[in-house]
Amino acid sequence: MAALRSSASLLLGAASRPALRASAAVPAAVRGMAQVSDGQQQNMTASGDKPKLKTFQIYRWNPDTPTEKPKMQSYTLDLNKTGPMVLDALIRIKNELDPTLTFRRSCREGICGSCAMNINGTNTLACLCRIPPEDTAEMKIYPLPHTYVVKDLVPDLTQFYKQYKSIKPYLQRDTPAPDGKEYRQSRADRKKLDGLYECILCACCSTSCPSYWWNSEEYLGPAILLQSYRWLVDSRDEKTAQRKDALNNSMSLYRCHTILNCTRTCPKGLNPGLAIAQIKKEMAF
Amino acid sequence: MASIARSSLLRQVASARPGFQQGVIANATRATAFHTTARRDLLPPLPQRVEGTVNDAAPIPEPSPSHGSYHWTFDRLVAGSLVPLTVAPFAAGSLNPTLDAILCATILIHSHTGFQNIIIDYIPQYRTPRARKFFMWGLNAATAVVGLALYEFETTDVGITETIKRIWKA
Repeated sequence: MAALRSSASLLLGAASRPALRASAAVPAAVRGMAQVSDGQQQNMTASGDKPKLKTFQIYRWNPDTPTEKPKMQSYTLDLNKTGPMVLDALIRIKNELDPTLTFRRSCREGICGSCAMNINGTNTLACLCRIPPEDTAEMKIYPLPHTYVVKDLVPDLTQFYKQYKSIKPYLQRDTPAPDGKEYRQSRADRKKLDGLYECILCACCSTSCPSYWWNSEEYLGPAILLQSYRWLVDSRDEKTAQRKDALNNSMSLYRCHTILNCTRTCPKGLNPGLAIAQIKKEMAF
Repeated sequence: MASIARSSLLRQVASARPGFQQGVIANATRATAFHTTARRDLLPPLPQRVEGTVNDAAPIPEPSPSHGSYHWTFDRLVAGSLVPLTVAPFAAGSLNPTLDAILCATILIHSHTGFQNIIIDYIPQYRTPRARKFFMWGLNAATAVVGLALYEFETTDVGITETIKRIWKA
């Protein structure tokens, strides 16, 4: 066996080593997920495409030097070598221009809600926000407004998550299912949850709400109220009365003044404003 | 906004260490103005404060329908009833003093709850409890004075609808 293994490794080694070397020779810059491969880049420059330069102004603040004021830093990229979305540009800046740039990102397809930030004055997910191709104006990127900034584009969402926890976002039920299996729901009841369960808690809506800016300590904000409604309308949940009681004070729910910034900004196209109106209506009489 | 609070907090820390303070002053002159608008520190944001640990849920207030759902429903009913009350005298073509008095009272309540909302929004109870109390009682006093004035106006003068009719030049 030992002999066989060594001969096999000799054979394999001879075959695999050049391949390994070739892969090692590929520049480390390809690592970034947002990049067009090198071959394509060369093709583009060879075909005579002019570089499409775009400047990004990005909010920078470093907690290691807290006495320095936050500043806007400019980065210029060639859009021919960058993916279509703002997150692609940010990743490329971090990989190639400035590794100290800090931001959150994970799924790059609008399902995790990590890359929520304020782009050109609108709260949105960087991975769902296209870089306008024809527009040569600078893009301004800030962290979510009126949040405590941890670093650069990273906001502190502690209060947001604490508030989410306070609405008990899980099924509360005392009676077991009649057949001992799962809790069943009619199609109509299930349909009520559409437009509510898709929320990814990116905090774009809450941080766009002036009422939440002024009263985030007590007002729950649109994202949390949308989730609150998601559990209020769930036909399987049995603690509806307690859930309503928790909202029945002057601050938690009724600081909503129907400004509707939440609905305007939601990168997933949901309607927190409508959900809040439904809660108010259900609690009215 | 958070940066303002943070810098003022750090200034206290910085003043404790003379060497550090020099650096702060140098930085202050070097840093370009990030906030271009005038700074009015009326109620600057406080440094971040986390109640309990980060894993504790935010506290849930005691339920009080009179400040919550009843209040909201009452607000909407008053606001809704203002529309027919405003239109009624013109639709009927005649002026009823009782209707006029009801209109006056409804407008008064409507503006009272409206101002109340503004005070609750902008003068937070947890942060400025005395200012909140002062403004709430100030509003109560103002409403009482206006109520008295409207009563006088309705009983001894022509009433509000007739006044608007007379001064309306459109």
